[in-house]
Amino acid sequence: MGAELDTRWFDPARTNLLVGLLLFLTFLAINVLRAKRGGSIYIRPLAGLKALDEAIGRATEMGRSILYMPGLGSMEEVGTLASITIVSRVARKVADLGCSMQVPCYDPVVMAIIDGVVREAYLEAGRGDEFKPGSVHYVSAQQFAYVAAVSGIMLRERPAANVFMGSFYAESLFLAETGNLTGAIQIAGCDKVTQLPFFVCACDYTLMGEELFAASAYIGREPIQLATIAAQDWAKALAAAMIVAAIALSALGHPELGRLLHTS
Amino acid sequence: MRSGPVILTFLVGTALIALFFIPHHKAQAINAELLVWATVIYAFALILGSISLWNTHARKIRLKTEGWPYSLVTLFALVVVTALGVWQGVGEGTVVSRIYNMVNSPLASTMFALLAFFIASAAFRAFRARNVEATLLLVTAVLMMIGRVSIGEFIWKGFPGFTEWLLDVPNLAAKRAIAIGVGLGAVSIGLKIILGIERGYLGRSR
Amino acid sequence: MSWMARILAIDRRVIFVLVGLGTAIPLLWPVNLPITVTPRVEAAYQTIEALPAGSTVLISMDYEPDTMAELQPMSIAVLRHCFRRNLKLIVITLYPAGPGLVEPALRLAAAAEGKERNKDYAFLGYKSGFQAVMIALGESIRQQFPVDFYKTPLDSIPILRGVNSYSKIDLVINLTASTAADYWIQFAASRYHKPLILGVTAVMATDYYPYLSSRQILGLVGGMKGAAEYEKRMDIFGDARRGMDAQSLVHVIIAGLVILGNAALLTTRKTA
Repeated sequence: MGAELDTRWFDPARTNLLVGLLLFLTFLAINVLRAKRGGSIYIRPLAGLKALDEAIGRATEMGRSILYMPGLGSMEEVGTLASITIVSRVARKVADLGCSMQVPCYDPVVMAIIDGVVREAYLEAGRGDEFKPGSVHYVSAQQFAYVAAVSGIMLRERPAANVFMGSFYAESLFLAETGNLTGAIQIAGCDKVTQLPFFVCACDYTLMGEELFAASAYIGREPIQLATIAAQDWAKALAAAMIVAAIALSALGHPELGRLLHTS
Repeated sequence: MRSGPVILTFLVGTALIALFFIPHHKAQAINAELLVWATVIYAFALILGSISLWNTHARKIRLKTEGWPYSLVTLFALVVVTALGVWQGVGEGTVVSRIYNMVNSPLASTMFALLAFFIASAAFRAFRARNVEATLLLVTAVLMMIGRVSIGEFIWKGFPGFTEWLLDVPNLAAKRAIAIGVGLGAVSIGLKIILGIERGYLGRSR
Repeated sequence: MSWMARILAIDRRVIFVLVGLGTAIPLLWPVNLPITVTPRVEAAYQTIEALPAGSTVLISMDYEPDTMAELQPMSIAVLRHCFRRNLKLIVITLYPAGPGLVEPALRLAAAAEGKERNKDYAFLGYKSGFQAVMIALGESIRQQFPVDFYKTPLDSIPILRGVNSYSKIDLVINLTASTAADYWIQFAASRYHKPLILGVTAVMATDYYPYLSSRQILGLVGGMKGAAEYEKRMDIFGDARRGMDAQSLVHVIIAGLVILGNAALLTTRKTA
């Protein structure tokens, strides 16, 4: 016999999360309106993304390709979604400069989407005929089989730049270290905190945590996209203020705010 | 033409957010069903992936590019294992299961084991006292490496406790900060996609 | 080229050989360095220890051969502890290659503690779907697993009589190298309020410290070191304790190389 069936239409324990979500939406709306009214939004420079332009230029001069890895996440993972938004912009730059890129994929759904994204980027750049079918290809849905194949690509084809953007796991060090062997410029962005140290050690530039999610807006520089980063920053500032306030109040014997922030 | 997928994304995304707040058993049954749909879509996408794999390696064989014999091996393995799987199934005791346990598993373990060598060479190259931050990184890394294994305790009884403190206090503080940023970034990109602000996944950046 | 400059430009294959020797030598000539049990592993141990005999434990062993070096010794130690406490075990795996590892671990642990399949433990096998499975276990175990791994109907298995959902499970243990741990926390611990212990790889362990602080999990065993501590607590000498000597020496080699590299860098800077 199973557990008692839950018949509630709202979980009151998640009220604080709902309030947080609504606050975030409010910040998003305010900043999007600001952007539409012509307000300027400052985003601090991200060295890794500035280097991306140089890397693509360098690859074009050397006549070598860019190797873009969207990570080992599936479409459910936010890191993969971020990677797809970045690859569309990278592919556009690659197409504009007449360079070539290769995208070995771990997940077949991701492969199908990125194939369409890259194809579209080439069409938008007016270079649809330069898109190489098969440049976005499926490798394997086994972690180390993928690593072995991509390492082989790096060592044989010697791309000028390796771009790791997405969700990576234990293979992060393997790929980055193999890429380092070939002398390629390496730019990484990963949402998995545990893999950041490996990328920091082995890559030239690393986007840490939320910088990965800001990257697509940063590259595209569209005002509404930049507005979403501003909303993110407002939410972060509010979260920091509430944490400090909760700690201070708890220390003074008033743990109510801390309890409000507790999630289940 | 693109508004269809954007509207569908908005409707499904909003529904899934709503399901997070609705514990009613019927709502959670829908949630569970959607997860099953995702598995089914993945299964179909595997067919696409196999076609892509076939085309990539067939092209290499046709053009006799460098390493084409390995592509031949790949395609042979793809055909043979698929045929065996369809014919006998993939359960315990089948040929596919034995191939997986005797070939794939040891290969995966071997590749994973190579990480030990790679971390050594990466650490030797990266942990250099070039500036204050790099020096802090290298000192912490050396202390952690020694303190987290038995030899650390052998050198100084307080070493394990010190490394636990490093993990519990400064490391955890930094991880939590990054995790908050990642969480907010994830919410941001999720909302951008659901609200149609970000359409890069459709193949048209906006 | 001076010696220091040579050290800076050392071929990485020399480093690989040193690491290889550092791994092989202690395995051939063990030293048996001391191991202290840390509070997190002790907490996991005490959680199992506190369960009365006859309690039902759901163990999900969600890992594949690439991470078995860290997780298999941990699994065997935890299984043996549960057997020693005369707990009833329901074992599942959410990874397709999992059965190949779960079965030998169960056989070894059961043989060491004199336990029998179906009487003291049941292995239900692999089920795909991750979160879908975890949610469904809250409704009906039999719907997800109508038969066990050996094709025996669940109703014929003595230890599963009357057990069909989380409500009859006293503890959940998840041993994994993946995000399965996050889902077990979300569903088993948060939604169904089941006590949960995690066993994860060393690199992931620090991610779960906050959950331990907030008591969303009751114990955490991290990596081969955690497994060695558990074996020490159980007073057994398994693969984890055997491997700690090798791990210790390799860490010393890496630390030594880092220090040497920096000494070389400083010396070449001074002479430049």
